[in-house]
Amino acid sequence: MSDLIWLHEEALRASHPLFSASSAPTQSVFIWDDAYMEAMGYGLKRRVFLYETLLELPVDIYAGDTIETLKALAETSHTSRLLAATTPNPRLNDIMGALPLEVTRVAEDAFVEMPNPEGLRRFFKYWNKAKKLAFQPNGTR
Amino acid sequence: MENQPKDFADRDALLAHVRALSPSLSPKDVQVSDTVGGRQAGEKRLAKIDPIAYGHSRNYLGGAVSYLSPYIRHGILSLNEVRNLALKAVPQGEAIKPIEKFIQELAWRDFWQRVYQQNPDWIWHDVEDYKTGFTPDDYSDTLPDDIQTAQTDCAAINYFITTLQTTGYLHNHARMYLAAYIVHWRRVKWQAGARFFLAHLLDGDPASNNLSFQWVASTFSNKPYFFNLENLQKFAHPQAPCEEADNQALAGSYDQLAARLFPYGVSL
Repeated sequence: MSDLIWLHEEALRASHPLFSASSAPTQSVFIWDDAYMEAMGYGLKRRVFLYETLLELPVDIYAGDTIETLKALAETSHTSRLLAATTPNPRLNDIMGALPLEVTRVAEDAFVEMPNPEGLRRFFKYWNKAKKLAFQPNGTR
Repeated sequence: MENQPKDFADRDALLAHVRALSPSLSPKDVQVSDTVGGRQAGEKRLAKIDPIAYGHSRNYLGGAVSYLSPYIRHGILSLNEVRNLALKAVPQGEAIKPIEKFIQELAWRDFWQRVYQQNPDWIWHDVEDYKTGFTPDDYSDTLPDDIQTAQTDCAAINYFITTLQTTGYLHNHARMYLAAYIVHWRRVKWQAGARFFLAHLLDGDPASNNLSFQWVASTFSNKPYFFNLENLQKFAHPQAPCEEADNQALAGSYDQLAARLFPYGVSL
């Protein structure tokens, strides 16, 4: 079985851990979804910036509705598992939740290796916990 | 399904293709930034960062800012690799104080993403009440035309709007000035300002952008952020036109401006 890597707009680099998370043969894709970009409020400047970024990446670009396109790609390649970068963006998470596929979320390299403090609200409460790690390479002790 | 092309004769050809793939774009949206996307362009900028100079000049429009934000926003560069490189600006074993502000600014991005993760519904809703003496209903839902067209009566504000629209980038201090002007001088809902920024900024991020707007508005902070002409002249000259005659609405002491902008008093 092969895996499908869905590269979304928040993980656009070839060294993202997403690309080394699977030992199976993979196809990597970016879905150019006009409706998604409209919902995110992206104008021409941002869209050109994103497309230019995609030119250098080892991904196939398809245009269309993200969910429908990913479903069709998975069906064509007999894929049952999709890998995607972890994100706080609810639109992207909703897409992952709506897919009839096993979805594996792969986290970005952490800035600081610490759990999310409960009830985050003010920066300095976070910073007081994070600053020791923030000045360490890879954010770890 | 058709695999989209990756080879283009030039940027104009790429631009035409992006437009063809983007039927939702307004025909009036024609501006493209000089900032080029991609890892190679991001790495070029990364090689030029000066975290120490950043620490003492970052608040000035002409300061040694990194311009990495669009690349970080889309994961083209990771916060981790930027931090790791910044650490090399001070020899091992020496005090990290000179690069503290640079690292802290990266931490702000991490902080906003964590808040977003915990509370995705905060992105478009008031987290707290306004502390401006006004209620949300006192603020307009839409951005006035003179702001959209950079025709306000403040030359510096018009400069910031034009810069945003043409380059897709604004210095952080200029973002604060423009956001404060929109929300407090013009009494426009922060959401309208946030949408305007997201439409133009290459680095516009729902969390960093919208929660910062809420910080300015006071719906995610203890008091509204505002500024006066003296502050603007200190940090934005000579990049922005800061003459008093061209920016009269911004002139005055902080007490005078607070009385004008928040006549019912600021609730703390």
